[in-house]
Amino acid sequence: MPSLFVIKGRDQGTRIRLDGATVTLGRGVSNAIQLHDTEISREHAEFRRRGEAFVIRDLGSSNGTFVNGEAVTEYELKSGDQLQLGRTVLLYTGVTEGRVEDLADKISIVSRQEDGDASRIVHAMPQAEGSEILSPPENETSSPWLARARSNLQIMYRTALAVSHTLDIDQLLARIMEMIFEWVDADRGCIMLKEVETGQLVPKVRRHRNGLHSEERITISQTILDYVVDRNEGVLTSNARDDDRWDAAKSILRMGVREAICVPMQGRYDVVGVIYIDTLVTPQRMLQQGSPNKFTQEHLKLMIAIAHQAALAVEDTTYYKQMVQAERLAAVGQTIASLSHHIKNILQGVRGGSYLIEMGMKDHAKALASGEVSAEAAEKAVGIMRKGWGIVEKNQERISTLVLDMLTFSKEREPVPEPANLNELVCDIVELMKARAAEEHVELVWLPAPSMPTLMFDPEAMHRAVLNVVTNAIDACHDRADGRVEVTTQYSQAEIMARVAVVDNGSGIEEEDLEKIFAVFVSRKGGRGTGLGLPVSRKILEEHGGRIRVESKPNVGSRFTLEFPALLPQPIPATAKHLVPGSTDIEPVSADSSHG
Amino acid sequence: MNTAPSVLIVDASRESREVLRVLLERRGATTLEAERPEDAIRITREHHPDLIVFDAESDQTASGEPTDHLREFAVDSDTPIVILGKVRHFCSPSAAEEIVAKPYHYGPLIRKINSLLAAA
Repeated sequence: MPSLFVIKGRDQGTRIRLDGATVTLGRGVSNAIQLHDTEISREHAEFRRRGEAFVIRDLGSSNGTFVNGEAVTEYELKSGDQLQLGRTVLLYTGVTEGRVEDLADKISIVSRQEDGDASRIVHAMPQAEGSEILSPPENETSSPWLARARSNLQIMYRTALAVSHTLDIDQLLARIMEMIFEWVDADRGCIMLKEVETGQLVPKVRRHRNGLHSEERITISQTILDYVVDRNEGVLTSNARDDDRWDAAKSILRMGVREAICVPMQGRYDVVGVIYIDTLVTPQRMLQQGSPNKFTQEHLKLMIAIAHQAALAVEDTTYYKQMVQAERLAAVGQTIASLSHHIKNILQGVRGGSYLIEMGMKDHAKALASGEVSAEAAEKAVGIMRKGWGIVEKNQERISTLVLDMLTFSKEREPVPEPANLNELVCDIVELMKARAAEEHVELVWLPAPSMPTLMFDPEAMHRAVLNVVTNAIDACHDRADGRVEVTTQYSQAEIMARVAVVDNGSGIEEEDLEKIFAVFVSRKGGRGTGLGLPVSRKILEEHGGRIRVESKPNVGSRFTLEFPALLPQPIPATAKHLVPGSTDIEPVSADSSHG
Repeated sequence: MNTAPSVLIVDASRESREVLRVLLERRGATTLEAERPEDAIRITREHHPDLIVFDAESDQTASGEPTDHLREFAVDSDTPIVILGKVRHFCSPSAAEEIVAKPYHYGPLIRKINSLLAAA
């Protein structure tokens, strides 16, 4: 579906789908797309569907509607168009042209033996040698024109390569300047970019031909710059007397004959800057070469082409940065939305619980005041308070889970392995979850491995990982009368693996959802889930060099297997033993140390 | 009101249902419970509660159709309904429909329920 992505402005990061025949945009609430920008009119513009495409129409807005820098009243949008309304910049993405599925049928990739395709590779060339194609063959004496054309093509090719190599604008501009100097006999050069906010040209790269005094300032006539930017034309200038176009301004230096080329960097949307080069032709050189000119029309043409390439790259890079920033904002927005929803639910629970306590106390006080404290009334009041307290406690637990999951997920933490026993750990979790299971009428079964040596892992993290999976299993049995969750541990000496399996006979997971269950903030439990549990568990297992495997069938149940390499504590040399408190806990591998 | 009024609580969370149940029973109402709006329609049809308290989040369908059905059903059967949270489809609220934004306070909610029951 065609969409708009806000890449600048207060709504940055918002993605808007264009759905329907007419979609209105403006500051007012009645619009399908409401943008929070004071420079946008209440009813600013509308999008009308025309076939597959959308046409934007300005609805007489005060500040106008701009597409790719041009004011428009009506304009059919193409993918990649940039819309500016007020201070907000939006990127339009249309429907993908051409049907990908159809192409898959029309193009087949065959292995060579089949289908009688007898093609063979006649000549191969590394990608990097592509530019050689443009260098003149040695045995050919080509015309000077052809040689020049070749060299021009080559510099264009190299410009294209240079711009495709970096996302760093300064580096990119420096490279382009360098290439220009290799190609043309210029003395000084600089690239200036237009500041987005002020529109001022700011020098970014400056270069002098070697041997010339590099501290010398480059003086560029404002007249020329204005001409280039305003008219979007490249100019070739000379301060020789025969050209009187600049005389009015009299701002070109008068020392020898200075020739300059100044070209606009015209990108896709706007002029993003200028490239300037100049050369000083001294009277001696003029005599040598028999002409006062060094720069030609051809130089100018090629400079325009180079500047265009550079401008595209600059735009792409700026654009890319804005996109990254916008995507990041969108992600932050989603995170906040998801968390506040969950916290809101907890808050609601706390309010409910505390209100019950309040009412219980009120009833109790009332009974006391009336003088007749019947055992029954007191019992009832205390009963309400107890219920309230239970709810408050449960929500306190939910906050703690949420906070710990958030911490685990956000931190790039390394697990802190210490000798611990997996059977003991899982046994604790089963104990902890018994009440919850009973409440949901789920039978919780604990089947420890008969032999479980002390292993090296982060017990705190592993506790979270297993707890989240067990909680999910119990929740999955919510709709079943005979819900059953089986928790088993396993230690395989041969595979050097430790496993915790959690099997439930609950609702199960559809196959197409299996991939999604580990996505952050995707909960299948509605209001009950944070969407953090499984991602956190997976992160912890991965930090231990392990993984979580899932097998599931809808309406039959799921099996989650958490497995990680079983690392045994390093045996501590007898002499060092007294230095390590608690080292007596470490048992040899062969010993049966199962618990539970 | 001579007989104890009955209130149907529609909420996916057992905890929230429990809070409302205790509070309503404390003031002498009887309560019915449903986890989903789908079940709520059936219960309303069978037991004719005097009021429905409906948590919008108990509808877990993407379409929000069960919510629409329940609201229509409440209008048709002349049952006042208190909706907790946001409902997706904004049809014109009927006279006996109250929307309470989340997170809500229980005090005002109970008062609202009381006044609706008194008016019934």
